[in-house]
Amino acid sequence: MSAMNFWMKMLNIDRRWIFLAIAVVVIVPFFARMGLPLIPNREVRSIYDCIDSLGPRNALMIGWDFDPSTDAENQPMGIALLRHAFARHVPVFMTAYLPLGQGLANMALEQVSDTTVAGNFVIVPWDAWEPFRAQGAEGRDSLEAAWIAAGHRLPEGSRGWVFEGVDLAFLGYQPLFYLVILGMGNSIASQFPSDANGNPVAEMPIIQAHKNLRQVDLAVTLAGSSACVTWIVYGTAKVGLRVAFGVTAVMATDYYPYIQSGQIIGMMGGLRGAADYEVLETQGGYTSSTGRAYRGMDVQSLAHLAIILMVVLGNIAYFASGMRKKTALKAGR
Amino acid sequence: MKRTVPLMITMVGGLVLIIQYFIPHQVSVSVFNYYTSWAPIVSGFALILGVGSITRLHYHKIRIRDRNWPYSLATLIPMYLMPVFALLLPPSIWGGNQAPGLFDFMYTRIQVPIQSTMFSMLAFYIASAAFRAFRAKSALATLLLIAAVIVMLGQVPIGDLAGRWLPNLGQWILRYPNLAAKRAIELGVGFGVLATCLKIIFGVERGWLGGAGE
Repeated sequence: MSAMNFWMKMLNIDRRWIFLAIAVVVIVPFFARMGLPLIPNREVRSIYDCIDSLGPRNALMIGWDFDPSTDAENQPMGIALLRHAFARHVPVFMTAYLPLGQGLANMALEQVSDTTVAGNFVIVPWDAWEPFRAQGAEGRDSLEAAWIAAGHRLPEGSRGWVFEGVDLAFLGYQPLFYLVILGMGNSIASQFPSDANGNPVAEMPIIQAHKNLRQVDLAVTLAGSSACVTWIVYGTAKVGLRVAFGVTAVMATDYYPYIQSGQIIGMMGGLRGAADYEVLETQGGYTSSTGRAYRGMDVQSLAHLAIILMVVLGNIAYFASGMRKKTALKAGR
Repeated sequence: MKRTVPLMITMVGGLVLIIQYFIPHQVSVSVFNYYTSWAPIVSGFALILGVGSITRLHYHKIRIRDRNWPYSLATLIPMYLMPVFALLLPPSIWGGNQAPGLFDFMYTRIQVPIQSTMFSMLAFYIASAAFRAFRAKSALATLLLIAAVIVMLGQVPIGDLAGRWLPNLGQWILRYPNLAAKRAIELGVGFGVLATCLKIIFGVERGWLGGAGE
């Protein structure tokens, strides 16, 4: 077989071999971990630094503005943000642009509050601390002291308490979310009379301290579509809301202009962005080890290498098999 | 009538909302609050229309045993079953309020994995397409190819093994040449959207009427 024939055969290779190669490349790193070092990008660091400067008197809004198709990229971002905010006792509003996003937000909360895993948080439901509320213990410190005095103890390895209504308001999904963002500029409670669990939002201490978007210090939208831009158009432009993006890798290139113009303070792009945030959290002492996104970087490293190898092979085959000359003749060049 | 009334509603609604956006007055806020109360109600009717329309379409396909009619069943059955699971079979039936219900099971164990899998399969097709179509046929195509390779390697930690220059170069491509091109495109799209919106508000563009009144 001449070299030209070999490359011609290579050019017409059954694509199932390519699928198999990618499958192997994706599966192997799960068993043989590489754990390559990662230096976080400045776009991610600026989000981390911003949240790291917040405390119990500030507020963070996180939008689960994606559906399960981009769960692999967006969900680790949400989990990392929740861990960071809860560790610093930054009150968090959780919203969803899409109906399916609410379920994903709930899954993220479940993961962060799974006390069988060390380093997680214990979420105290709104109803559970009602007796303390009746006694007037609504400030975070006084509430936690009363809660512990009542005999409640953190499970071993848990990182802290998260009081629903004080540290967290799971607002969930509302239809026509662009209108909801506009409406939240005046009043958050008017747009969400009750939260995703049916609790009265207007009675929550978090709402009494942060009535509208002007009193929210940062909104991070996690999106797999252009839904994230809605936060700029109706939040930043209307009430000066500070916004950051957590978007999929294919979308990230679209949003660099918003960083340069100052319309967003930073951006997590794809799994790499989430992994960067996990690394920063571990360096900051908020987590003992990195999470799912960082583990995924091994897979992504090898997958990118494999795709580049295929591009190179495809080009060698294209030129060596004489296909270039044939197509050039066909095109009259 | 069929054409004039929708055109008038669009024009008045569009102009009122544009004007109120720039006037921070109590009257303006009241108008907006009315609108935000009305809009979800109107969209609720749109949902009824949508569900009705999709039901009619797929019911017709099933009735005449059209090509691929079982897919119509696969569309209709979950569409009607999920609300039943959510509203008529609450979690308490399956063992207390803390236990996940059937709706939760269908969502977390079926819908989430299916959608994630569908999107993940893109990796396989991208690899195949890259092998077959990403060719250095011309100077511009070669430039694109080189930029893609640098950005791809710069985005993953394995790129760091070649030295910090590679991720830095990848970031430079994203932050400067990519940004400039994207800004130009965004501006063009923005002006296009603005022009189209004005044409719709003033009744110049009437395609959205679907031929009503003609």
